[in-house]
Amino acid sequence: MMKLRHDLVLRKVGDDYIMVDPSQGMVDLSKVHTLNETAAWLWEQLTGKEVNVEHVAALLCERYDVSPEQAAADAEALVQEFEKAGLLEA
Amino acid sequence: MEGNIEPELTDHYYGIAGLQLALRFPSTLNLDNVLPSFVGFREEQRNRTSAAVVTFRGEEVPAEEEWGTLRSDISLVWGDNFRFYEQEDAFVTLIKHKIKDKQWMMKSTKDFSASDIYGKADDPRMGEFVSWLLMVVFGQVGLLHRLILIHASVIAYRQKHGVAFLGKSGTGKSTHSKLWLQHIPDTELLNDDNPAVRLEEDGRVWIYGTPWSGKTPCYKNKRVELKGFVRLEQAPLNRFTWKKGMESLVAVLPSCTALRWNKDLFNAMTDTLAQLVEQVSVGYLECLPDADAAKTSHRAFFED
Repeated sequence: MMKLRHDLVLRKVGDDYIMVDPSQGMVDLSKVHTLNETAAWLWEQLTGKEVNVEHVAALLCERYDVSPEQAAADAEALVQEFEKAGLLEA
Repeated sequence: MEGNIEPELTDHYYGIAGLQLALRFPSTLNLDNVLPSFVGFREEQRNRTSAAVVTFRGEEVPAEEEWGTLRSDISLVWGDNFRFYEQEDAFVTLIKHKIKDKQWMMKSTKDFSASDIYGKADDPRMGEFVSWLLMVVFGQVGLLHRLILIHASVIAYRQKHGVAFLGKSGTGKSTHSKLWLQHIPDTELLNDDNPAVRLEEDGRVWIYGTPWSGKTPCYKNKRVELKGFVRLEQAPLNRFTWKKGMESLVAVLPSCTALRWNKDLFNAMTDTLAQLVEQVSVGYLECLPDADAAKTSHRAFFED
């Protein structure tokens, strides 16, 4: 079961949603992830919960006027994106 | 052998960026000679709690097996002078030396509120090493007080406003400050390497001189209100650009110090930084080492 990484904190700086990732290596070099508004909203909804395509698609359907097919496709892309960026943990 | 006799210790108090640091060092030691850059920061104990207490143990550095898990040994701010180790309830900072006898070591609680320094009091580099270790302590303990020790050269303009110049080593931070001193009237160098930036309860942001200033002996116990940060980059021209939101944070972040593997300290730093960049201006200056570069950044902050 995948979850959002518990050590990442979502913050709003100006108009941007960001997470500073204290990645390994240099003491003071970090990665900064930016999220768009939808991704940021999803991040808040998903905190502490299981992250899977069905769950994300259901959330998208609740909030946005999208077809279930579109929501599933977007959810799939988003979960992959989170995974690729290393934002998930087991 | 007097190995078992505890040396008598004297408490010394310093106020840096509004935080009190207490040093417990052997009474026989003249601490002002050991730490000359700290003299201007001495203060009375007053009735407040010290943010950090650092005790000198004139003992052998504990054996390597007792240091813990190696975390990292390179920092943009500190260079490769240190190694950091983590134990269940402590952090260990080691100053490397190929001769084992000349190593220095500091063991700190996880919030850096209490540290013990191990080293030889007759080491000619004692002052330098203790100063470095105190910088590690102050940099970390400050994070829990909305204070960030940054890697920057900072000027005070009209005794009122601070502008901090950031950049990788060799970018010309000190040079840019010098250009301000030469070409912008009413400018003073506040600190040339490690000023402290503090976000006050009322949302105002101050920048403070500290006992650490790199190669420039500029140890001023004073503060001015921080107007902003400028990240410098060498270029064939002078061009100033403002940064907002995420970009402003990214511009300042690499110049901040935090032991990233401690989640609490790291998050405290990022929290403070996220608020800081909303309170002050952040710019990016592509620049030459000339008078026009200083005039360009001056104009951006004080004229436009």
